[in-house]
Amino acid sequence: MILSIGWKNVWRNKTRSMVVIVAVMLGIFGGVMASGIMKGWIAQRIHASIYNEISHVQIHNPEFMLNEDMNLTIENAEQILNVLDTIPEVVAYSPRVKLFAMVKSDWSTSGLYVKGVDRDKEIEVSEIYKHLLEGDFLEGKHRIPSIVIGSDAAKALKLLNYQVTPEKIDSLNVEEYPVEIISKLGDIGDKRFRKEKDFREALTENLTKHEYKEYGDKLVEYFSFYRLGAKLELTLQDTSGQIINPVFKIRGIYKTSNTMFDGLTAFVDRQKLNTYTKLGENDIHEIAIISTGNDEGKELGITLEEYFAGSSVMGWDKISPEIAMYTQFTSLMGIIFVGIILFALAFGIINTMLMSVLERVKELGMLMAIGMNRKRVFYMIMAESIFLTITGAIAGMIFSGIILEITGRTGINFNMYAEGFEALGYSSVVYPTVSWFDYISIIILVIITGIISSIWPARKALKLNPVEALRTD
Amino acid sequence: MKVIELKKVEKIYNDSEVKVHAVRGIDLEFEEGEFAAIVGPSGSGKTTLLNMLGGLDKPTVGDIYIGGTHINDLSGSKLIDFRLFNIGFVFQSYNLIPVLTAKENVEFIMQMQGISQEERYQRTKALLEEVGLGDRLDSRPKQLSGGQQQRVAVARALASKPKFVLADEPTANLDSKSTENLLEIMEKLNKEENITFIFSTHDQRVVKKARRVITVEDGKVLSDERK
Repeated sequence: MILSIGWKNVWRNKTRSMVVIVAVMLGIFGGVMASGIMKGWIAQRIHASIYNEISHVQIHNPEFMLNEDMNLTIENAEQILNVLDTIPEVVAYSPRVKLFAMVKSDWSTSGLYVKGVDRDKEIEVSEIYKHLLEGDFLEGKHRIPSIVIGSDAAKALKLLNYQVTPEKIDSLNVEEYPVEIISKLGDIGDKRFRKEKDFREALTENLTKHEYKEYGDKLVEYFSFYRLGAKLELTLQDTSGQIINPVFKIRGIYKTSNTMFDGLTAFVDRQKLNTYTKLGENDIHEIAIISTGNDEGKELGITLEEYFAGSSVMGWDKISPEIAMYTQFTSLMGIIFVGIILFALAFGIINTMLMSVLERVKELGMLMAIGMNRKRVFYMIMAESIFLTITGAIAGMIFSGIILEITGRTGINFNMYAEGFEALGYSSVVYPTVSWFDYISIIILVIITGIISSIWPARKALKLNPVEALRTD
Repeated sequence: MKVIELKKVEKIYNDSEVKVHAVRGIDLEFEEGEFAAIVGPSGSGKTTLLNMLGGLDKPTVGDIYIGGTHINDLSGSKLIDFRLFNIGFVFQSYNLIPVLTAKENVEFIMQMQGISQEERYQRTKALLEEVGLGDRLDSRPKQLSGGQQQRVAVARALASKPKFVLADEPTANLDSKSTENLLEIMEKLNKEENITFIFSTHDQRVVKKARRVITVEDGKVLSDERK
């Protein structure tokens, strides 16, 4: 009966109860989403870092780590690869040659790390091939060997051009752009712009301020194109210190969420690079290994350290300790964030329950007079708070669950901050992810907050003197 | 059989700077089956006396025995439990729990006593039928008139099978028809089931029905008339 009265009392003042229920619901939603976004971001960052950049484990010649001299190849590389074939925790590995080269296009020069890879092995280790904007990832054999570069390297080499071609104007979506804009675009002419800045200037000259503000960014993107097929001349040393200038043709351009990586890393066929640089057929600088999972990757790093004592073996947490630290950092941030939400929530519940108690002084006095002992009064007020909180918690669970399900598929696009995020290596589209443990923990914490918050109002009710309480109006 | 015994009961309030002597040495006894009214002007000590009879307040001096139990010795939860099992209350403004139906309001007190569901149901039904509300078991207080609510309150007061029922101005908020009706029910219960009723009232209609009228003034019993 106490529970029944508690539940019915919740619905006495529907508006007030609904305010608390909505507050609890939003509290849970806020906590779950904040935690989900942070975890999603970090999970994506860790995934991108591992599957695009560093893999789970890397093996090098120990001295190569200090001085990236091209002659410091891995000793007994073949033997190491044979051993890796026998370890079940090794899902895939990719032997690489890694050199720094000056790269020259017809219009600009830039410094790039050139990774010589065996295509078939590389795509098992790295997901760069999934991030191609144009072209392919080192497919087929060509007279002029292929190179795959990042979009930011392409921009630095002035290989991202802008041109208002008649074909592109014809295929502009007339529903999306007003006719007058399309006709004004024709005035820009067929000129090719190598810099975004110059193309934007041309647009501002031909469009009104309002038109440029509304359509400028979309037009820049629409008329941009990468100079796929352009040749790049690499300047690097061979094993004997001689400067060589092999030429590669761009056959793929990729874009990851890390602009720094995209601006600095190029991929070529390892055998070609070894031939140009006079490295032996089996000479490699790096073995990148993928394990069954991130935690297993850490353990594999430790295991392989013992296996290959003569080489430098590093797990991803040691290669990039800041990334490993992110996980702990986000957990801490999540706790702080949820803590603040719960703190605010506690005050909401205390306020509502105090109002509820003070409004019913006479009734509580009557209950005490006719024989409801203090324990029962206390439980009744507690039950009301807990019902309020649980109702809000269920609503919050359902609401957060739906939003998480949707955003987990579609992602949340922070496009307007994309530049900043990507400069730090984070994707501007985040897919919130919440583990069941986090989800249940947040709900339990909210319910505990509800229970704790009800103690004060319940104690207030206990202090009532039935005689005085009955006298109130 | 004595239900209530007050021996040289005094009540002094020390809360404010001025001492208030609300009750001054009252000796009273109530026998089982009495239908008594305590009357007196405002500030006469009538309410204080009633509170002490109901175990809601304790005397500063003197002793109160209810059903032989010296209630001065009871405190906190024991006193609340004592009230639950021994005293029925009817208040001026009905004081039903608004979220519960008539049936639940009556049943609630028995549930606190730990009475089985079956017995609760039977007794609730019987009590509400007795007060003429057999057809309003599932009505909420706001769906009932003032008179009907007060009848539910009487049924609730009787639900715990108390030694006596204390009714504080039970007719103050009722029209004459409802008052008549309520008094008839209480008189019937008193006569047929020997239930002791003690009223605090200003209402002459109640005074007329009462078989004993105790007049209180300045904290003292001015007269104690039996009809």
